[in-house]
Amino acid sequence: MTPVVELDRVGHRFAAKGTAGTTAVADLDLAVRRGEFTTLLGPSGCGKTTTLRMIAGFLRPTSGRILLEGADATRTPPEKRNIGMVFQSYALFPHMTLLDNVGYGLRARKVPAAEARERAGRALELVGLSHAADRKPAALSGGQQQRVALARAVAIRPSVLLLDEPLSNLDARLRVQMRRELLQVQRETGLTAILVTHDQDEALELSDTMVILNGGRLEQQGAPRDVFPRPASRFVAEFLGYDNFPELPGRGPVTIRPEHVRLLPAGEREADGDTGLDGTVSAVTYQGAGCLVEAGIDGAGGPGAAVRCLHPADDLRPGDRVRIVLPRRHLVELPAGEQR
Amino acid sequence: MIAMIRTRPLLSLLAAAAFTLMLGPVAILIGVAFTAGDTLAFPPEGFSLRWFSAALDYPPFIDAFGTSLVVAAVSTVLALALGVPATLALNRGRVPGRRVVEGLFFAPIVVPELVLSLALFQQVMVGMRVTALGALVVGHTVLLLPYTVRVVGASLALADPRLEEAARGLGAGPVRTFFTVTLPVMAPGIVSATILAFITSLNNVPLSLLLTGPGVATLPVEMLNYVQSSFDPVVAAVSVLLLALSVAVAFTTERVAGFTKVFGR
Repeated sequence: MTPVVELDRVGHRFAAKGTAGTTAVADLDLAVRRGEFTTLLGPSGCGKTTTLRMIAGFLRPTSGRILLEGADATRTPPEKRNIGMVFQSYALFPHMTLLDNVGYGLRARKVPAAEARERAGRALELVGLSHAADRKPAALSGGQQQRVALARAVAIRPSVLLLDEPLSNLDARLRVQMRRELLQVQRETGLTAILVTHDQDEALELSDTMVILNGGRLEQQGAPRDVFPRPASRFVAEFLGYDNFPELPGRGPVTIRPEHVRLLPAGEREADGDTGLDGTVSAVTYQGAGCLVEAGIDGAGGPGAAVRCLHPADDLRPGDRVRIVLPRRHLVELPAGEQR
Repeated sequence: MIAMIRTRPLLSLLAAAAFTLMLGPVAILIGVAFTAGDTLAFPPEGFSLRWFSAALDYPPFIDAFGTSLVVAAVSTVLALALGVPATLALNRGRVPGRRVVEGLFFAPIVVPELVLSLALFQQVMVGMRVTALGALVVGHTVLLLPYTVRVVGASLALADPRLEEAARGLGAGPVRTFFTVTLPVMAPGIVSATILAFITSLNNVPLSLLLTGPGVATLPVEMLNYVQSSFDPVVAAVSVLLLALSVAVAFTTERVAGFTKVFGR
């Protein structure tokens, strides 16, 4: 089955005068399957937006090829690519009504006026804004503008929906609500979608496939259920909130999530197969449902000497002796000798 | 305003003084224009429209008004034709040495107009044997460029640069994008720039001073000529007519395109 979008060793290097330039994206291979929701995830500057803009055609790769529906589109201008793009700033045309905004792409494709109006109307209905069809964008709230931007991209039935941090300008609660609506629209239309975000919750909830980028390179890729419990590198682990990198004698680099570390009273023993260490509580932060407890491992020094634990009770105080338990099934091994 | 007078009396006094200082001479001029007497004395003797009819009966003024209108209209169109693409390139394109180019477009405001006038007289009128009208149009166009570039640029800068990308992504080619998105977004700025440029050209004196020929002079220059020989209220009447035109044009801008929106923010 031909992937809808394929990146073949795509790279982008910004050439600055007199220097070797900055590599925003290097040697990226990516294949996005029809109907899937893919997220490009990573910190600022990791190349995710650059990658999206290359897929859209606003930026030309300095190396590699981009294929859309199996055809080489590396040199094709954006208007000929059949993409539907949603911007972080929504970019709604301020001088047009919502209906005209949503119908813009259809008119550009020379769809007959009556049909264009009807399809635009249906797209607006899909996002629940048909009642506002005659209003101008300035009269809408952020969330509503976002919905219109989505309707506008969906109306043209593109091969792929490209979303550049579409929810970043919304407040936290609205973001969660809009996230669900976005997923619903994608499911209802069956469109292939690629979304760029720095928010891991967003990626976890929306993705069929998560692609984690670091410094322009692909760090890890897979379904959330495969990636999240098994980060493949220190970078991914840190990015996903694995706050612990304890140095265990006789073992390579490992990591474990704070909510999986268990603290038993000193003297108690862990189950067979689990790793146990003696330690002392160094800090306790009350969090309501539990405490964030930091404990130093006996005999260890440096940054790998402490573990953070989400402890479900409020019965520990700094100075308490504890048995730190790292359950085997939650302890993740990382590649040896890795640079941060 | 009443509240301001009550809470900050000193500031209100200063504001009132400033307004009086600025508008006083204009008010006096308007008063003199309606005088029934023969001199520019203020307060005026009686009320009459005789000086307005005298002004409209004086052929050099009528010719000069025609010249001013033609020059203003043609220069404004030319300044827009050059300035709008320039500001588009500066704002949206990647121009090497952008700051220098922007500075160049600002230069006509900085250069003394009389110097520019002399240069045009020597090089264009005498050297290239161009008529006074031609030299006027060239000079005024140059003078108006900073206004068209800056004012249209301001409205472009306020607009989201992603708008054009959005249009392209939806399937609109560069030409369609320009006419359906870029131009409408720039429209308020273009309207403001047009009117600002027109008024600037109409009222200009230093640049137009040397650029005269047989039957060719702008209205302010013709008024200056008149004042050097006769010192009567006709000039005041013409001034009032010119002032009325400028005010009407500025008022129209406010209504049509929200003038302040381009300068505010």
